[in-house]
Amino acid sequence: MSLRVGVLGAGGFGRALALAAARHGHEVTLWSRAPRDLPEPIRTSTDMDALGACELVFVAVPARHAIEAADQLGEVIDGRHLVVHVSRGLVGAELKTITQVVRERTVCRRIGALAGPLVADALAEGRPSGAILGTGFPEITAMVREAIGGAELRIYDTPDVIGVELASATVGFLTVVLGYVQELGAEPGTLAVLATRGMVEISRIGETLGAKESTFMGLAGLGDLIAAVAGDQRPESRLGRALALGAELGEAIGELGAYVEGFEVAQHMIEHARRNGLETPISSTFVAVSEGRMSPDDAIHALMERRVGRE
Amino acid sequence: MLKRFLSERPLRLPHLRPYVPRPSDPSIFWFNSERDDIVSDVVSRICSDLEADRGQLELALNDAAFHEIRRLEKQRDDEARDRLGYWRSMIRRVGKMDDTEQRRVLHSIVTNMARDVAGNFDPRVYRFARQAVPRLIGGVMEPRRLSKDLLAPAPKVLERVLRVQGDVEHLQALQSRGSLVFVPTHSSNLDSIVLAQALEISGLPPAIYGAGKNLFTNPIISFFMHNLGAYRVDRRIRVSLYKDVLKLYSQVTIERGYHTLFFPGGTRSRSGMIERHLKLGLLGSAVEAFTTNRIRRVDRPVWFVPTTINYALVLEAETLIRDWLTEEGQARYIIEDDEFSQIDRWVAFFRKVVGMRGACTIRFGKPMDPFGNEVDGSGQSMTPTGRIIDAGGYVEHRGQPVVDSARDASYTRELGEVLANRYEKETVLMSTQVVAHVLFRELVRATPGMDLFARLRLRGEISLEREEVCALLADTRLRLLELERQGRVLVSEVVREDDPSELLDRALSFWNGYHDSTAASLEGGRIVLRDPSLLLYYQNRLVPFAEDIATPEQLPAACEIEKLGAHR
Repeated sequence: MSLRVGVLGAGGFGRALALAAARHGHEVTLWSRAPRDLPEPIRTSTDMDALGACELVFVAVPARHAIEAADQLGEVIDGRHLVVHVSRGLVGAELKTITQVVRERTVCRRIGALAGPLVADALAEGRPSGAILGTGFPEITAMVREAIGGAELRIYDTPDVIGVELASATVGFLTVVLGYVQELGAEPGTLAVLATRGMVEISRIGETLGAKESTFMGLAGLGDLIAAVAGDQRPESRLGRALALGAELGEAIGELGAYVEGFEVAQHMIEHARRNGLETPISSTFVAVSEGRMSPDDAIHALMERRVGRE
Repeated sequence: MLKRFLSERPLRLPHLRPYVPRPSDPSIFWFNSERDDIVSDVVSRICSDLEADRGQLELALNDAAFHEIRRLEKQRDDEARDRLGYWRSMIRRVGKMDDTEQRRVLHSIVTNMARDVAGNFDPRVYRFARQAVPRLIGGVMEPRRLSKDLLAPAPKVLERVLRVQGDVEHLQALQSRGSLVFVPTHSSNLDSIVLAQALEISGLPPAIYGAGKNLFTNPIISFFMHNLGAYRVDRRIRVSLYKDVLKLYSQVTIERGYHTLFFPGGTRSRSGMIERHLKLGLLGSAVEAFTTNRIRRVDRPVWFVPTTINYALVLEAETLIRDWLTEEGQARYIIEDDEFSQIDRWVAFFRKVVGMRGACTIRFGKPMDPFGNEVDGSGQSMTPTGRIIDAGGYVEHRGQPVVDSARDASYTRELGEVLANRYEKETVLMSTQVVAHVLFRELVRATPGMDLFARLRLRGEISLEREEVCALLADTRLRLLELERQGRVLVSEVVREDDPSELLDRALSFWNGYHDSTAASLEGGRIVLRDPSLLLYYQNRLVPFAEDIATPEQLPAACEIEKLGAHR
């Protein structure tokens, strides 16, 4: 039985979700601000009402547009709808997750977050990949697997929704850090230490927000980071490399042509950690370097000279 | 022996002829005529679930026997003497029983449990209580007014003690259309009595509620509770079947349209803080009642009413905070020897609140559906922008309402979160709580680096100029009023209207002479912090707001106070 699948947002990921769902034989409606051409049988619309007729709605907009998108979607959905977002960002200094935004601004309650090492191209073309779905509702997992899962996409699930969202948001920032040190010619061992300790650092912050440490060590966290380091050509990695080559932060972001969510998130995370008495040596040092307040050499010294303890 | 007899078989008045409810009577008046049907509904649902799977059935019987043997061996009392033999014999035989025998034993155990839980409702006791209780409270408080109060209409007597806030008319409009589930904060064993009186004053119908079996040990309280619809909850029983009976009993009564009251905090807040982590079992039973009615196409919605009960003086404050502060307190769920069981403390308590404006405020929050949405005057669910939606959609899968316990468990968890947030916004901060916060914050400021327990030992060692306290109170109140303007908290009438000096005197007067040692006292123009534990208890209500109402100089102390709430 085919599903009625809606996609809000016609960026790379939104289009990939629509193509994947259509390939699985479902009725797909993609909403975007401006008219778009997508292959049949995908229906495109600039009218939000079209999403009201769907059972499952994927929200594929950057975090900075999440509030506006939730408000518009809130006008056409109700308790029958299942909503899954794929954003890698958080909203505001309170580090609000997208599921929290949707929960607050709409009457939808069955909400999930799809994350992990899933990239738009692989999803669109049906190449083998995997993802993690955070949701407290098993029926969402079943419906998302039916909509886009299968032999080419393994979708694991966890009830730790906030863990998935925080891990996904902070991996973006760690990817910038790793792109930076890769460009500086760091050894694989150095990358491994930075990646692992960076993940521990952000998982501690995540725990204060209600996430589970194990989620950071799974597909949503380390799994996603491995994909980034292995070279899946994310904009975050390119940003890190551009910074290492001496670009200014604002200029480098502008040249990317893609929105990088991880940086803002990192600054809010550091502030949150400070208020909770947590240390964030890797994040704080890299933010200082990227803002030109510290040289790369000083940063390496500062990190290497820290007291070392038990893992 | 008599105590146990009364506890297990509360007295009922004989009926010369059965009471036939009138159409205008509240739904609870029909309860007795449906009680046997409710019990058999509970029994048949539990048994039919288990009977389908012999493994599950045998596991349930073994679990019941194991936990009951363990409990009764510890109790070593009359009940143990009577029942231990049965359970020991049962656990030996259960593996050898055939299917029919296992089902018979299950049916018998579940029926006994359901009958023990089920309450009673006697309209004669209800009419007597609604007239007598307010006068009794008034009489204890002001003996000189007793003769006048005997003639005054009952609510007039209560209005001196109790303030009721909230959109009562909205609740009145909903009460005949579905089931109202009142979910209050819990500070004192007086709560169910006080809330029952608040419902009475507000013209709202009485509600069924669950009460700990320990409260049934007093024969008078037991008589009233049992005959006013309370069902008994024996928290000593750890058997899974018993928990299922309690949840289903609650679910079936809500499905049938009885208004219900339960405390999602599970037990009284030991610390005095606003509850944050709520027990989801009974909340879940109300969500499932909504689902069941939808599937059966019964148009009887369920609405939750977040309610806060706010006292300026808490009857059991000393015992509760002591309990929170001790290791033992973490594990002690049932307290049988606190101020609630001492009649002299009741008299002292009610005498103390005599003439004290603003002693207790009950606030009924806006009613909401089981999914946390506000509802309009006719009970229809609304989006944040006011669009009407069908709440039945939440339990549909591909267009059909379906049972899904995992889904409902998730809805219940979310409902718990919504309620906890609503409690913060609907809490009415009382005079003693605000004054205690200001004094406790100064204690923290005066003792940097000291741990909580060392601070609590500083009895009478810290004092402040009265004028200084008044100035601090004035500033804190201004900040609280700003939070109130933002919709984040509420303050009581006296906190809003009294000048700081009156506010301080009022709090000192509440504490002085009721608690064994007063929280603070005025000595030679200085306010002396006499009992930091009591100050901690009363100020704990402000923990979530501590940082927001502090000046930059007070901020480090406020942060320390806010950290107290980490394990709320």
